[in-house]
Amino acid sequence: MTDNTSGQTGFGGVSRRNFLAVGAVAGVAAIAGCSASGDGELSGTIDASGSNTVAPITSWAGEQFSNEYPDVLVDVAPEGTGAGFQEFCRANSDVQSASRQITDDEVDLCGENDVEYGFIEVGLDGLAVVKNAENDWVEEITLEELQQVWEFESDVETWSDIRSEWPDEEIELHARDSASGTFDYFTREINGEMGNVRDDYSATSQTNEIMGAVADNEHGFGWGGLGYLRDIEDDQPIEAVPVESDQDGDFYLPTQENIEEGNYSPLARPLFAFVNIASLEDRTDLIGSFARFYTNGQHEFARDEGFYATTDAAQQENHDKIDDWLDQVGASPDDLTVQRA
Amino acid sequence: MSTETDDTLFTDVDLVWEHRKNRIFLAIIFAASLFGVVALALLLLDVASDFYVGLTEYNISLVDFFTRDGSRREELSGFRGAIVASIMLMIVTAILSFFVGVGSAIYLEEYAPDNHITRLIEANLANLAGVPSIVYGLLALAAFVNGIGMGPILLAGAIALGLLVMPIIIVSSQEALRAVPDGVRNGSYATGATEWQTIRRVVLPAAMPGIMTGTILGLARAIGETAPLIMVGALFVNRMPYGPLDRFSAMPTQIYNWAAEPSQHFIHLAAVGIVVLLAFVFAMNAAAIYVRNKYETEV
Repeated sequence: MTDNTSGQTGFGGVSRRNFLAVGAVAGVAAIAGCSASGDGELSGTIDASGSNTVAPITSWAGEQFSNEYPDVLVDVAPEGTGAGFQEFCRANSDVQSASRQITDDEVDLCGENDVEYGFIEVGLDGLAVVKNAENDWVEEITLEELQQVWEFESDVETWSDIRSEWPDEEIELHARDSASGTFDYFTREINGEMGNVRDDYSATSQTNEIMGAVADNEHGFGWGGLGYLRDIEDDQPIEAVPVESDQDGDFYLPTQENIEEGNYSPLARPLFAFVNIASLEDRTDLIGSFARFYTNGQHEFARDEGFYATTDAAQQENHDKIDDWLDQVGASPDDLTVQRA
Repeated sequence: MSTETDDTLFTDVDLVWEHRKNRIFLAIIFAASLFGVVALALLLLDVASDFYVGLTEYNISLVDFFTRDGSRREELSGFRGAIVASIMLMIVTAILSFFVGVGSAIYLEEYAPDNHITRLIEANLANLAGVPSIVYGLLALAAFVNGIGMGPILLAGAIALGLLVMPIIIVSSQEALRAVPDGVRNGSYATGATEWQTIRRVVLPAAMPGIMTGTILGLARAIGETAPLIMVGALFVNRMPYGPLDRFSAMPTQIYNWAAEPSQHFIHLAAVGIVVLLAFVFAMNAAAIYVRNKYETEV
């Protein structure tokens, strides 16, 4: 492997947490030593918290970054978006992966702790609306119909309640519970308000249970992360439903092409990486270079981990944001070891 | 004529039933004693078959497995970093726990008066030995990782494991010291030796095999502990540590990490990792038995 370094000593273990703590003298010395050793060779530890969904992308980016710069360790802890923001907004992590945008409460928490941040969009995740393969009547569904089915106090009990030509049979609804970022996203995009959902569907924290239940029942209907559908759709009778696009009103299946071109909207959600600006100020080259490296390879990193690439425009926007942050901390993009590709 | 005799002799049907009950009971308790063995055999069989499938169907090369560190890419993943981390953890854990553990045992056995303070210490040690390992992990997390800002480094993991094995070392050392006959001590005192001289030159050498056995068994338990290391935060680092201040992921946490991946390739990497971890545990237990058998008779 490429990470055979002989010079690596205890400094690899020094994190930002040390910085904040009482016995921080050694940590300060170590980090100062790291950034002073400059000369193109990066070293140090980057703490990344955040989403269980996005962590694989950040982790893969971090591993590639370490392969390139063997004295760097990117330590990714996938505790979940919400739990991750609790760490990030207390300045306990440098980078935070998120499967949704930061909430108002989290903005307040960051504010209380004087944590300034910026974010980049690193990839897209598809949300699939699924039905059983035996179900030959649902050939497409509009956003309005989805809302009708899923909104709070919905009166849809049978397929014919959605469209009168569909069978008069009861629908079996399966979806994620309120603990998930996927739930937050779906309810906000489809029902107009985060957490607005009917209360009589089978809620689970396991997306594979949703997929399994829909595959087992002709009248099953639900939604969940696209990756889980991809895992079983070849072996089991389950398929995605084409959903109306809020872009052009046509119906689209959640294919790579439709998601990456932006047609499968709004059910393709953006995935984010947040960066702590104070960390960037402390270790400009290390954090800045990682953000740059991540952005340079973001299409590849996302696809390698089973997600979808953002548009090239979004990638360029990320680069511009990084330039702005550097400007904010009084550094120039040219100072970084990793340059815009 | 014979029918009558037979009748009188064999009318006691209850006796046959009693014998049968005896045999049934024997069969049940034998089955109970086999239960553990069978469960262990099934477990080993399952691991061995996953190990075999890993090597054949998923083409996991043992050479790569021992010379590469972990990776997000299953085909690039290896166990080297985790093995090095575990060995380093054991060394630091042994250093941290051995001297304190043996020291406490010597105090409690050789010096401590039989008063309620001593009894309080002993009762606490007994309780410590029963504390779930995750609690030691929480302690290390609160006191060292976050408290003094150590971060999730190998030394913090070693402290958690050191606390975990310390009661085991103390109790086994106490037993080893207790097994040294008083006549040996008195003989030493009779020559004019002080308490410390007696302990150092006579009692400790005699008790050392027992102490070593206890220590090795304690470490063999520690090497497989996952929960305290997860609490400390040693989970998602793939790289090899170079010293006790580096971040790390040890063998059990790396296995845990792989087993949680959806891909079958990672799950079989975990199976190969389990075989390596079991080999370490068995080797340590074998070393403990060897030490005990080799030196026990020389007392």
